[in-house]
Amino acid sequence: MVKLSQKDILKLANLAQLKLTPEETAEFSSELSLILDYVSQLDKVDVKGLEPTYQVTGLNNVTREDKKIDYKLDKKLLMENLPSSKDGQIKVKRMIA
Amino acid sequence: MINKNKYLYKGYLPTIGIECHVQLKTKTKLFSGIDNDARDAKPNTLVSHICFGLPGSLPVLNEEALVLGSKAGFALNSRPQRNSHFDRKHYFYPDLPKGYQITQFEAPIVLGGSVKIVVNDEDLVIGITRAHLEEDAGKSTHDVGKDYSLVDLNRAGTPLLEIVSEPDIHSSAEAKAYARELHLLMQYADVSEANLYYGNMRFDVNVSVSKDDNLGTRSETKNLNSFKSVEKTVDYEIKRQVDLLEKGQAIVQETRGFDDSKQRTFSQRTKEDAHDYRYFPEPDIPPIVLSDEFIDSIKLSMPIMPDAWRASLSTAKLDSAQIELLLESEIENPSVSYLSVINQFLDKPEELKKIANWIINIEIPLRKEKPSLTLYDDSVRSKQYIEVFKLLNSGDLSSNGTQELITYLLTSEEEIIDVSVFANKKGLTQNSNKDELGDIVSKILADNPKAVDDIKSGEDKVIGFLVGQVMKASKGSANPGLAQKIIRDQINSL
Amino acid sequence: MKTWDNIVKISRSVNDGKLSAVDLVNESLSLIDASHDYNAIISTIKKRALERAKIIDNAVKSGKNMGRLAGVPFIAKDNFLTFGGETTAASNILKGFNAPYQSSAIEKLESEGAICVAKANLDAFAHGASTENSDFMITKNPHDKDRVPGGSSGGSAASVVLGLAPFSIGTDTGGSIRQPAAFSGCIGLKPTYGLISRSGVVAMASSTDCIGPMTRTVGEASLLLDIMSGRDSLDSTTIDKDSLGYITLDSDIKGKKIGLVKEYFDESLSPDIKASIDDMVNKLKTAGAEIIDISLPILPSALAVYYILCPAEVSSNLSRYDGQRFGYSYKAANDLNESYSESRALGFGKEAKRRIIIGTYVLSSGYYDAYYKKAQLVRTKIVNDFHKAFKSVDFLLGPVAPTQAFKIGEKSNDPLAMYLSDVLTVAPNLAGIPAITIPIDIKNNLPVAIQLMAAQKNDRKLLGAAKKIEELV
Repeated sequence: MVKLSQKDILKLANLAQLKLTPEETAEFSSELSLILDYVSQLDKVDVKGLEPTYQVTGLNNVTREDKKIDYKLDKKLLMENLPSSKDGQIKVKRMIA
Repeated sequence: MINKNKYLYKGYLPTIGIECHVQLKTKTKLFSGIDNDARDAKPNTLVSHICFGLPGSLPVLNEEALVLGSKAGFALNSRPQRNSHFDRKHYFYPDLPKGYQITQFEAPIVLGGSVKIVVNDEDLVIGITRAHLEEDAGKSTHDVGKDYSLVDLNRAGTPLLEIVSEPDIHSSAEAKAYARELHLLMQYADVSEANLYYGNMRFDVNVSVSKDDNLGTRSETKNLNSFKSVEKTVDYEIKRQVDLLEKGQAIVQETRGFDDSKQRTFSQRTKEDAHDYRYFPEPDIPPIVLSDEFIDSIKLSMPIMPDAWRASLSTAKLDSAQIELLLESEIENPSVSYLSVINQFLDKPEELKKIANWIINIEIPLRKEKPSLTLYDDSVRSKQYIEVFKLLNSGDLSSNGTQELITYLLTSEEEIIDVSVFANKKGLTQNSNKDELGDIVSKILADNPKAVDDIKSGEDKVIGFLVGQVMKASKGSANPGLAQKIIRDQINSL
Repeated sequence: MKTWDNIVKISRSVNDGKLSAVDLVNESLSLIDASHDYNAIISTIKKRALERAKIIDNAVKSGKNMGRLAGVPFIAKDNFLTFGGETTAASNILKGFNAPYQSSAIEKLESEGAICVAKANLDAFAHGASTENSDFMITKNPHDKDRVPGGSSGGSAASVVLGLAPFSIGTDTGGSIRQPAAFSGCIGLKPTYGLISRSGVVAMASSTDCIGPMTRTVGEASLLLDIMSGRDSLDSTTIDKDSLGYITLDSDIKGKKIGLVKEYFDESLSPDIKASIDDMVNKLKTAGAEIIDISLPILPSALAVYYILCPAEVSSNLSRYDGQRFGYSYKAANDLNESYSESRALGFGKEAKRRIIIGTYVLSSGYYDAYYKKAQLVRTKIVNDFHKAFKSVDFLLGPVAPTQAFKIGEKSNDPLAMYLSDVLTVAPNLAGIPAITIPIDIKNNLPVAIQLMAAQKNDRKLLGAAKKIEELV
């Protein structure tokens, strides 16, 4: 059975930019091990000769013409939704030292 | 096998691979119908819900990106893959709105290929691993001394082709030549504006050094936007790494930047905080299946590429410096084409050589000097050049007159069709009529008996004086070579 | 509970000037107000709804026909982006988010004169099967306030059953329309994947997300599918609608083959549900249907496949909620990393975090092939087995869930048990085939429903049979 330690959980949380409380970390560690145990039933399924199904529509080459589109976007709302802005730019915590 | 010895620096062999991001010349972004040209736009004005990564926004692929990506495939001496698809690449950064970049990981549009370069008269082939389509990130600025950065998403979603080379490069000169050649290829294939100033082509340079057959730890210097910075980076990194190793220190695998003012690289982040990108196939974009018809039509649409020009032009005995000058000049100003004029003479080596020389020596400098010069159709210019060639060949035009005539033709405010009439009117043709010239010469000889005697007594250089007199008398229209011949004939028969 | 007229009749009356859209909207809004103790609704769109209603009434007065849904109020699950109010997906991280564009489905409904009056509660980001995972409140079952309405479209289902509006729309990624429709007692249609545009709908698992109507009758679901379906230039995965549309249905069941899926009738199925289904099966037989026992041995694997693929896509789709461009942002952050990790820690509920962690794990390097890729391979087997089954039968029939609506709190501390509620609904999502929930009985004062499935793109045929079952109830 796959065990996910709390350290493993924290590593994943770090990748996902998600701060977890110690309680959440402990809880996820035991729950996720159970869930992974449940999904391990797939190990027994024989998939020889099959190709993975990423999409079910059978569509391909769905493209658009290289033309401008008016999406009728409410630009005012777009900018009002910004948590922080300056001179029309998105203001974020400093990216590089 | 390469000759390692010539590359060795203090006994270390440098190995270089280059990743180049080429901005594709589409009108709109890769996944949204928003203007691609953000050069003069105010921040966050060329954006949609897609560029902003709003909830519920979905990418819709620009068909032109497939055309340009396929052209690039042929330009890279390869061909587009029949099957390709997009994947998501995950990392968090404020200029990456969705928290993932849509790129091609598993099945890129181009696999394999090569680029030929010439360094020190030696032909080299640099392998291309792959080229894939992906969206660009936004642009961020970091004002000095502030605790914040500002993000503009106008550039987010601009289509890029990332071209990944094999680690086949071993010197800064080769790196520079490769970058330069890619730049030519992308422009000739009409894939990109390839304007380096605007960052249309950005190079990431991977450098490692090693004393044995194993590759050393590499550094990756990102976002170089000139051939010179590519060259300087390679030189700097080879020296830095070898110096470290010589001091017994280890190379850290890391991302570096290039400081233009100091002409050196600097550490940006080490691989410790490297990402696990968690790629998986993009479920919002159905896969790409290019038909044979599509691939063939792209192949047919490919223009003459630099290597083909080099072959044609060198058979016309142009030297490689001239050829490269022509190839470079061709793309400097997208509204002028020299090669399409030259193209008319590919099967006439004599004309080709002459006209190519005129273009190199007269037209190109002239247009550089006066960029606003009226440009006549390629067909008009071709006709004018062939007329000039005929006039020169028949002796009606002097070499000096040729330069003047071509300058007139190029700078004229009206299109000049009948070149010889025009040359006559401008007094640029020379008189080659023997009878007329004979009369003038007889008169000059009669007026200058002393000069005639001097020549007879062996002072041959005096003949120049007599030719000058004939030119003066003919108001410059005489063919000086013919005048000299008649002078000698008449003196000998005196 | 208000009993609305059929929406065809309502819109006809509005177009005839006999009913006022403003009155309809006001009525719906006051019903919403009166039943707030069910927690079905997150927010109303009063101002915009009344404005639109006035425009429709005025246009009708000047003789215009305002469409097939003229003046019909409806309620959208709060993961559809709508103008005129917030779109939260019942999550704290999207609280205060005012969508600058509308979902294509809403646009299509509006173009036929429908009026969105309110946004329904859901499990945050549609992660759940009970609506208990809403970051705001727990919706109650219209039949028993101590029980869940099902989920994640619990608010949408409860709205229709409570009669807050003539219809609602929901989303179904692994059963989120069908299961609450069964628990609350209404029609819930999950169409063929791609038939209704996902543009403007908060994504959960992109490769299985479907949009569908929740109604009181099959006929109304058909009309709404007819209006919302078809290719959308904003969603590359949309497909063409049926050339015959979905209005006129063939409900003749005579000679049709209905497969009873063996794997759906195991010992975990409640005997009450089993008995109700048996009754319906007998009625169908009497009506001339041919009932065939069929086995799809791969089906038990579907849930395992789903609980790899779904969190993987969820972890990716939730990356954009990072506190930088919209929604909740942690203001006290000292640096960029803290801004990200705290905004997401405080903005996401526990279930979102759980799925992000699982999804991150199954996609991470070294595990991708063992989990994600393996799941997609097994998915192929599921697709193939359905394909094979539909060569021998016209429809597959089974329960929607193993039990009737469970008690609030009964499963909320056991995520795996909650995931198992989806066991009978996820397979059609993985295969992209259409499936519908039809209530057939009331037992223990709670609805009992069946699930009917058809082959990919056979939505029209599915609705025809569903109509027959509706008649047989």
